[in-house]
Amino acid sequence: MDHRIPVAGRREKRFYTLFFTVLLAFFTVATLLTQYNPFQLLFQGEAFWTFLTQDFLPPTLKDPAGILSAILTTVALAVSATSCALVLGFVAAVFASPRTSIFPRGAKVLRALVTLVRNIPSLIWAFILFSALGIGTGVAFVALTISSFAFMTRTFIEVIDELADSSLEALTAAGANFPQKVAHGVVPNCLLDFIEWYLYCMELNIRSSTIVGMVGGGGIGLVLFTYIKSFNYPAAAGIILIIAALVIAVDRLMAYTRQKVLNEA
Amino acid sequence: MEQISQQLAARQPQWGLGRAGVRRDGRIPLRAPGQGRAVRLFFGACALLSAASLLYLWVDWPKLLSRAPNIGRSFVKLFTFDFTGFSATLSAFGESVSMTVLATIYSALLGILFGALMCRSLVKNHIAIGALSAVFTFVRAVPSVVWVLLVLVCLGFGPATGIVGLSVHSIAFFAKAYAQSFDDVGGDVVEALTAAGANRLQIFFRGILPAALSSIVAWFSLRVETNFSESTVLGMVGAGGIGFVISSNIQNYRYGRAGVAIVLVFLFAYLVETGFSKMKRAYLMDH
Repeated sequence: MDHRIPVAGRREKRFYTLFFTVLLAFFTVATLLTQYNPFQLLFQGEAFWTFLTQDFLPPTLKDPAGILSAILTTVALAVSATSCALVLGFVAAVFASPRTSIFPRGAKVLRALVTLVRNIPSLIWAFILFSALGIGTGVAFVALTISSFAFMTRTFIEVIDELADSSLEALTAAGANFPQKVAHGVVPNCLLDFIEWYLYCMELNIRSSTIVGMVGGGGIGLVLFTYIKSFNYPAAAGIILIIAALVIAVDRLMAYTRQKVLNEA
Repeated sequence: MEQISQQLAARQPQWGLGRAGVRRDGRIPLRAPGQGRAVRLFFGACALLSAASLLYLWVDWPKLLSRAPNIGRSFVKLFTFDFTGFSATLSAFGESVSMTVLATIYSALLGILFGALMCRSLVKNHIAIGALSAVFTFVRAVPSVVWVLLVLVCLGFGPATGIVGLSVHSIAFFAKAYAQSFDDVGGDVVEALTAAGANRLQIFFRGILPAALSSIVAWFSLRVETNFSESTVLGMVGAGGIGFVISSNIQNYRYGRAGVAIVLVFLFAYLVETGFSKMKRAYLMDH
């Protein structure tokens, strides 16, 4: 009999056994289906290398004015869609959270709807809307707003649900009505969390608006897609660097804002 | 000096429930975060920027609104399911799921490797850590669809393109997340093992990896969700999978078939999310 101390508890161990068994099953089936062999890629490494050195580099930059306006479009799409989703998401969350809602039955339907919207990727929404409304930045705005709305509603509901019982109970006991409960119970307690999620959603949306732009929304994504489709790889490399710089800059800005606003409040 | 500080003190509102805190009308002010100057400034700036953005986009709202009924019509058409070609849809769906699973597994393994190389308690060369994390920051900043498009150029069509393309972004994601988890394990574990004479490999496999296992699994399941939604996107930009079924059917006005594919996407995403959270609740939470 050995005297080893178990690293994990029994329940935990069962969880990991189950998890890795399921994973192994998926892995086997997927490998059989796709016949994917990562070691084959090593032999194709040369193809990557020639593409990278001969076609792709050095990055070039054409039409700086056009690129600047494309960047502005992408940023404007992300900012306006996120803010619009913030307002809509707040209203929806207040009605959908079981803690505050005045129509419990409607709240259930609303939550189910949000789950449906959230689990379908934003690009599919964009595609459906593009086919119904035609392509353009306006439609891209609507598509981004829909998917961010679902994201924010879900997180806001969670934030409201985590609210301590006492504050809402005290307001109810004092005879507060629904708008009063929201204004004096939910908003003061949850505002900082809402801001946190808003900033996070902004980071996500800068990426999403680039991608939605590719399939017809305009902006920097469309510029990149056109370059790649017309085999102009050096120009595409330049745009990729610009997108990376844009995303990193926005991430930094959000981190800075988060620190400033949340620390001072 | 003292005068200035007195002036500042006078300008600062007196919060709290003392007598000084009661307003003239008898109400007690709350110290609520929404009343801070920074928060008000923040919301003001956001409102201004958003209004400016909407103006810059110059959306033709009347035209958009006049077409709004089309959305309803599209949804009615999407939900009148058409099961012709269902086996092709199903095999494309299988391809998407396979791409997701393989890309996530292989990149998690590589992510553990790179995460270990970026772990501060194992690697003392800070310049190397900084260089690695700079490369991964760049890779993460470029959306994964772009990586897929570039891999498409090198490898041509096929599931390998999707898997490699998804892996590029996922490896960078896992490297950062796992390096953070390994760093979070804490110095006492490392110190204890070092004191017992363990070398770095032993410290990693016996100390850090078991302690970080729960966060490894958590990040993994998060990434499965992300990668699945990315893999459905791949088809729309020209790689295979369920996304291609959706986009080509919509473009050819076969909405019923696209609707079936979209429902499959929803069901899988929903099952992964609820399945994992149920499993976690059943085994990992205390009763």
